[in-house]
Amino acid sequence: MQDQFIKMDSITKIYPPDTLALDKVDLEIQEGEIHSIIGENGAGKSTLMKVFYGMAPPSGGEIHFRGRKAKFATPREAVASGIGMVHQEFMLIPSYTVYENVILGAEPAGRFGTLRHADTKPKVEELVDTYGLNIDINSRIGDISVGAQQKVEILKLLYRDVDVLIMDEPTAALTPQEAGELFARLRGLNKVGKTIIFISHKLDEVLELSDRITVMRKGRRVVTVDNRGLDKAELARAMVGRDVVFSIEKAPASLGEIVFEARGLRYVDENGVIRLEGVSFDVRRGEIVGIAGVEGNGQYELVQLVTGLLSAQSGRVFIGGHDVTGEDVMARRKLMCYVPQDRKVSGSAQNMSLVDNAIMTHHRLNPEIEDRCEALLSSGRCRAFTSRLVEDFGVLVPELDAPISSLSGGNQQKVVVGREFMLDTDFILLDQPTRGLDVGSIEYVQEEVVRRRDAGAGCLLISADLDELFSLSDRILVMSRGRVVAELRPEATTREEIGEYMLGAKDAQEDWRAREEVGK
Amino acid sequence: MKKQVLPALIGIVVALLAGLLILWAQGYPPLESYAALFSYSLFSKFAFFSTLDKATPLILTGLSAAVGFGSNCVNLGQPGQFLIGAMAVTAFGIAVDLPAGLMIPLSILVALVAGACWSGIAAGLRRRFKMDEFITTLMLNFIADYFTLYLISGPMLDKRMYSPLTPMTNPGAWLPIWNGFGSAFLVAVAAFAVVSVLWNRSKIGYEWRAMGQNPIFSRTGGCRNDAAYVWAMLLSGALAGLAGGLMIMGGMQHRFVKGIGANYAWDGVMIAIVANNNMIATGLYALFFSVIQTGSMGMELETSVPSEFSLVLQAIVVLFVVASRESTRVLINNITAELRMRRARGRDKGMGDGRHASNG
Ligand SMILES: Nc1ncnc2c1ncn2[C@@H]1O[C@H](COP(=O)(O)OP(=O)(O)OP(=O)(O)O)[C@@H](O)[C@H]1O
Ligand SMILES: [Mg+2]
Repeated sequence: MQDQFIKMDSITKIYPPDTLALDKVDLEIQEGEIHSIIGENGAGKSTLMKVFYGMAPPSGGEIHFRGRKAKFATPREAVASGIGMVHQEFMLIPSYTVYENVILGAEPAGRFGTLRHADTKPKVEELVDTYGLNIDINSRIGDISVGAQQKVEILKLLYRDVDVLIMDEPTAALTPQEAGELFARLRGLNKVGKTIIFISHKLDEVLELSDRITVMRKGRRVVTVDNRGLDKAELARAMVGRDVVFSIEKAPASLGEIVFEARGLRYVDENGVIRLEGVSFDVRRGEIVGIAGVEGNGQYELVQLVTGLLSAQSGRVFIGGHDVTGEDVMARRKLMCYVPQDRKVSGSAQNMSLVDNAIMTHHRLNPEIEDRCEALLSSGRCRAFTSRLVEDFGVLVPELDAPISSLSGGNQQKVVVGREFMLDTDFILLDQPTRGLDVGSIEYVQEEVVRRRDAGAGCLLISADLDELFSLSDRILVMSRGRVVAELRPEATTREEIGEYMLGAKDAQEDWRAREEVGK
Repeated sequence: MKKQVLPALIGIVVALLAGLLILWAQGYPPLESYAALFSYSLFSKFAFFSTLDKATPLILTGLSAAVGFGSNCVNLGQPGQFLIGAMAVTAFGIAVDLPAGLMIPLSILVALVAGACWSGIAAGLRRRFKMDEFITTLMLNFIADYFTLYLISGPMLDKRMYSPLTPMTNPGAWLPIWNGFGSAFLVAVAAFAVVSVLWNRSKIGYEWRAMGQNPIFSRTGGCRNDAAYVWAMLLSGALAGLAGGLMIMGGMQHRFVKGIGANYAWDGVMIAIVANNNMIATGLYALFFSVIQTGSMGMELETSVPSEFSLVLQAIVVLFVVASRESTRVLINNITAELRMRRARGRDKGMGDGRHASNG
């Protein structure tokens, strides 16, 4: 007890005006362990770490670090004491190089305040080598993948020589391959003595990686256990307080008419790079079509073409039998609902209230929230609508007028998903719909998707999570380099096979490379 | 609502207190000066009505800027739109002679349309050539300024006068003054009511606000950002144009004189910024600013504090409110949180050792 490495004592955090986010949490973390924190959306995981890291002042309680009382007023102080945190949303400058981002805020200043790169550049390079990070420190952040950006965040902390690494949902935006790499890296860091605090909703990862696991629920620490002989179901029960189904039951699809069709889509971006080429497929009522692929292989552009945010150079899009190729976003939204990939940028306005976020798109399409005069919205009805959404989708909110930024990440996601499902259309486009959700909420969303399917809606699901694709989809399309390279049935294929298609090692339709040669 | 008004009130009070200190430090009698400031702006019928007169253009230019900024359109062309609105009403009032019942609504319409056309040019340039309205609206101010100057010193010059100004408009276009109360203020109030409803309750208003907060979000949600942008620019210009038009229609002058725009437009921009584009706050700050502007004359008379002191007060309000908007809110919130903490502690004592965490 006396010489705890990190000891949090009765930490309480009240977000003004009166959200009790942490309620007397005690937590001990030992030196050199990998300690995972799991819990439902809004349980207070991020908040606990922010309090520890000096990003949010606690309302009560004490923190001891290395036997001494620690009270970090800012993250800078925490870093100076050897504690670093990688946030779920990265904080890098896209137009700077990796190296510049790493030294930002800790620049080696010479005389007259000039930068001295002579000493530091080799140091950064050496770090990259020592920890096997495998990135080019001269490339621009904007040009590298999300996985690589995360390495930069880690590199930043290593450069500042931290001993404790806090990672808040680091794998949410990573592909399975990248996540695998990350784990190897974290284990390597752990081996050289770094202590790692790991927050995740993916229980498999948690079980694979951690030495000890802490479960939080509703602002309290429920239990801390050694990771020995635990199983997933047990953990999930501790988290949400009930049994959770991991792979949902669904009846075989009963197909109806075609509800969505893409025909020969081709898209070339402004730099002349071909992003999509000859993409044709359809989705029928009553089925869920999943799209697998490594991020950046055309899924993003496909989604934008379907929603009407981009327009294709050639090809057509049909929704519900209508040719919507030339139509704008709102005309299409009458026929489809759409859960965008990043809730912060496209799915919400962080400073607007929950109500204002909940009525987006409905404000034009849903007569339920209109006032007597058609051009006006009734604020009473908008609130009633939002309350219904909050209730139906189990969103944890302080009050309807609070800005959506005061909701935990997962609860924001529920608002977005709920809003779209309440549009109640026959075609559903889901881009990473369960990103950042806890197991209980994932189950809820997935069941809801299946319910809609069984009620006759057609669903197109883009997901980086192969488990999700396997458990939900009736068909899986694999995209690689802007084309659909395979169409597979989940019951008749394996992860390995899909992986090969994703990486382009295998091509069912035609040899892409050969065509490319001919094209030149 | 409450959350926005409270920091605003605190800002005003603190600014007044700071002004008190400055007056005292400068050797003026602070309390008497303030007494004069308010008695010459509020505490007599005449004073109060002149404050309302002053508030009329400020409310409108404030609304104009708030609509623009709040929907992510950087319309800084209020000065130009104001002048064009005033000039259009003048020309209309000189050329057309109808009974007041027709003339007044038509003149208002002319002012609105003229202002909207002027901002519409900037909107069109942005849509067509992707030119930033931030630059184009500013440049259009110069054009409006020199164009109206040319008109009043050439084609529209009143030959009987020895300074650049136009003849008077026909009396049909004059807004009545009842017992010293200028009815132009009622027009501003009506505009305020319409714009508030539009902004806070209408569908297009919702789209403006969403676009102002996050254009990608509103576009993804299906809002027609391009159209919303054009409408916001037009409304913003129309309001500034109306402010100009009312300068001709109200008051006693009824002609376009050099320098008629004064600083109304920039004051409006400032008001919108202080009010954080909130409509009600915009109206309140417009009234407050006109109180100090009107009262400062009286203060000069009574205690010989230079009337420029009103600028100092305005500056303090702006700096204080804008700089402390966040911190005041945080402070208020923290006080609430602290109270709740106390309550929670009280509850715990009552429950004894109601602890929950256990170790596995
Ligand atoms: N800035 C804030 N202002 C007000 N309340 C907040 C703020 N940030 C978080 N909260 C509230 O605090 C509680 C805990 O949030 P926190 O972000 O710690 O949850 P979490 O466990 O990280 O959840 P998730 O898994 O969804 O990320 C939630 O109820 C949330 O609404
Ligand atoms: Mg979180």
